Amino acid sequence: MKTKNKRLDLLFYILLSLLALVFIAPVLIVLSNSFKGQFYITDSPFTLPDATTFVGLENYVNGLRKTGFFSAFLYSTFITVCSVVVIVFFTSMAAWYISRVRNAFTKAIYYALVFSMIVPFQMVMFSLSKITNAMNLDNPIGIIFIYLGFGAGLSVFLFTGFVSGIPNEVEEAAMIDGATPVRMYFSVVFPMMKPIVITVAILNAMWIWNDYLLPYLLIGNKYKTIPIAVQYLQGGYGSRDMGALMAMLVLSIIPVVVFYLTCQKYIIKGVVAGAVKG
Amino acid sequence: MAGIRLEKVSKTFDGNITVIPELDLEIKDKEFVILVGPSGCGKSTTLRMIAGLESVSSGKLYIGDMLVNDTPPKDRDIAMVFQSYALYPHMSVYKNLAFGLKLRGEDKAEIDKKVRSAARMLDIEKYLERKPRALSGGQRQRVALGRAMVRSPQVFLLDEPLSNLDAKLRGEMRTSISKLHKSLGVTFVYVTHDQTEAMTMADRIVVMKDGVIQQYDTPKNLYHNPINTFVAGFIGSPRMNLFSAQVASEKNKIMLRADKYFFEAPSELSDKLSGYVGKEVNVGVRPEDIHAEDFFMGLEKSLKIEADIDMAEMMGAELYAYFDFAGARMISRIPSRMNIVDNERLPLAIDLGKLHIFDKETGISLRV
Amino acid sequence: MIKKYVGKYFPIFLFPTVIAFFVAFIAPFVIGLYLSFCDFTTVTNARFIGLENYLRIFSESSDFLNALWFTVKFTVVSVISINVLAFALALILTRPMKGTSGFRTGFFMPNLIGGIVLGYIWQIIINGVLGYFGVDITYAAKYGFWGLVILTNWQQIGYMMIIYIAGIQNVPSDMLEAADIDGASYFQKLRYIIIPTVSSAVTICTFLTLSNSFKLFDQNLALTGGAPGNQTAMLALDIYKTFYNRVGSEGIGQAKAVIFFVIVALIALVQQYVTLSRDTE
Repeated sequence: MKTKNKRLDLLFYILLSLLALVFIAPVLIVLSNSFKGQFYITDSPFTLPDATTFVGLENYVNGLRKTGFFSAFLYSTFITVCSVVVIVFFTSMAAWYISRVRNAFTKAIYYALVFSMIVPFQMVMFSLSKITNAMNLDNPIGIIFIYLGFGAGLSVFLFTGFVSGIPNEVEEAAMIDGATPVRMYFSVVFPMMKPIVITVAILNAMWIWNDYLLPYLLIGNKYKTIPIAVQYLQGGYGSRDMGALMAMLVLSIIPVVVFYLTCQKYIIKGVVAGAVKG
Repeated sequence: MAGIRLEKVSKTFDGNITVIPELDLEIKDKEFVILVGPSGCGKSTTLRMIAGLESVSSGKLYIGDMLVNDTPPKDRDIAMVFQSYALYPHMSVYKNLAFGLKLRGEDKAEIDKKVRSAARMLDIEKYLERKPRALSGGQRQRVALGRAMVRSPQVFLLDEPLSNLDAKLRGEMRTSISKLHKSLGVTFVYVTHDQTEAMTMADRIVVMKDGVIQQYDTPKNLYHNPINTFVAGFIGSPRMNLFSAQVASEKNKIMLRADKYFFEAPSELSDKLSGYVGKEVNVGVRPEDIHAEDFFMGLEKSLKIEADIDMAEMMGAELYAYFDFAGARMISRIPSRMNIVDNERLPLAIDLGKLHIFDKETGISLRV
Repeated sequence: MIKKYVGKYFPIFLFPTVIAFFVAFIAPFVIGLYLSFCDFTTVTNARFIGLENYLRIFSESSDFLNALWFTVKFTVVSVISINVLAFALALILTRPMKGTSGFRTGFFMPNLIGGIVLGYIWQIIINGVLGYFGVDITYAAKYGFWGLVILTNWQQIGYMMIIYIAGIQNVPSDMLEAADIDGASYFQKLRYIIIPTVSSAVTICTFLTLSNSFKLFDQNLALTGGAPGNQTAMLALDIYKTFYNRVGSEGIGQAKAVIFFVIVALIALVQQYVTLSRDTE
């Protein structure tokens, strides 16, 4: 029994390792190509750079120059961080209110929010971009407000599910202690929501960081986030520079990988929690 | 000075579920009053109305001399201890105690003094920097008491504070809470479903059922003079035995007939019972008033019966013997020295002087 | 009382979210619905034309039906492949072996990379392979189709695997021990204990992949852009192209979007129904 299990384990290890290689290979191939001259990439993408094909950091320099990657990185970071903070802050407040003050009004809002989760973006993209434009929200600050509204569905849904599971008693204790509702919320309720705050923050961060169409339609003309910059490099403006593209792909993966490796535990937990409740 | 007075107070939820139809209750200043009753009897709702956590649907609620129907909890000069303790989970014990004082804008040195003195009294000084989740149930309970104490309120409200503790700890905490009541010298209102807590700690007990007060009296009176079959059955463990008996009159004496036995009713109830001749009444007798020792067999006021004991439970100091009598299930408390085996026929003596007699329709005791 | 106490604070707690929600969702949704019955190039010049847009979707070209058919085929294939592979991986990785968490980390990672970036990564690789045969991904629709299938598998297997792992770990170990004592084989345990207990994870993952595949856009745009022709354009991409690549067909695009929304909403309703009926079983 034991030896049979051990052999089976070995078999699985080999299988898993091969599979893991398949999973990582695409990223490694892009990384290796990012050091090759742009005209060698399409011809032989699977060879490692050698004396003739190696161009050092030339692709990176080209790519950064052509795409304005630094500013894209800053826009992406700014929009993602601010939106996540704003979403967590306001939707958790709304969710608490909805779950503690149950009446026809809050119920209607809740159902409208849940409904918004199933509506595909294409349904609203045209009118949304016109409204944003008309309201002068078509800038990196305005889009934060749009993300708050568009991300409210999932976030309120997750927060409400969590808050409804917290008994009222702690809040009642705070009420007797003399806390105003605002004080009660920030001193007592919000700290208790920490686990779900992490989930909501991570799900929204992943969505907003990688989101392409919404920022492209709303602010893409003037402000390019990373996905827009990558797509721009590919777009039909003259011959496309494969080397620069490879370099930009590598640069856009790095922040994600760093983020993943540092908050891995939370990300996996958050994703499971989000999926199971959503 | 803070007594509590409820005048015709009612509570209706969502406009149609009436939990408390109409309640009058007066609690004196510095008194320790315990509300007991089965779950859903409205005892917690009553407490929460006093706290201001539930609004009063109609009637008047006074704390001290102030009408507090619309006063927010923080201005009622009360503090509350919850069943789940409801400690602020992310704050240290110190901050838990200090939170209410801080909100009141007291200065730091003053807060520190109060927190430390409460902690000393409750023996939780060692844990002041810990978070609640690092404490045992008993310690959390003490913190919850401490949080109530630091505010030095005129009224302490406690909602089943011991029900999450194990039996041994519950015993210890009963003593501490009684001591606390004496040393603080303020009014305590306490809700529980555990009659032992009620009997051991309360000055007076309110027994409630379906939102109505059944009896409001001292523990001793509740036990010896239960006003109706509900109170008689609720207070006392094991519960009072109840069987039905036929009332008859013979030679100017009021007699009772139950099973194959015919015996004289308590003479002090003769007058009232004379109206029941020919009818049935419920007779109650506490398990400790059914004796097995030889001494009681000869007494004049004893009714000797033959009981077929079908089960005997050893409790340590005593033994619960179960048998059927007059169509009812009966228990007798017998000293455990006596050797009793299951399925034994045993002579028992019911102390006729300790009988309780209740109207069969209304359940009300004839002793009132 | 908490309700009453907190109730009047709605401007602070509720308004920021509700106002943003109104601007970013309710208003665009209602306007979008209305515009699907209009002829327009901007919102302000909309002219009501009834059902004409809806009729033109089908009369003018077969793009939408092609996209629908392509989307359905793609969805069926990828839902099955992702779930089967993810479940198999989850079974292997819940065995008592060392080093499983490292593999989990690795398999999950692609999920975090955005659709556009993913699309280009796989374009290089698929074109590199097809290069040996002298073609590229835009040469025929089947290349784009399988390219998309491989890409979404790569992206989503890790995610679904994590959910399946969570489900499998919830199988009570005493139940498996009882089955061992009863002499159940591994596959009997799988069939009669593990699969029934993780059935809620199966529902979740199935509908998650279903909805992800059905709404796929970024990956589609980056990998093939619909080429050749519009043959590999899925519904979302077809709608986008109708809106922005042909002036004057915005109304048709909006009408397509409404139909798309209705299909997605139906899927969600079915999911709700399945989840509820299983919960009440």
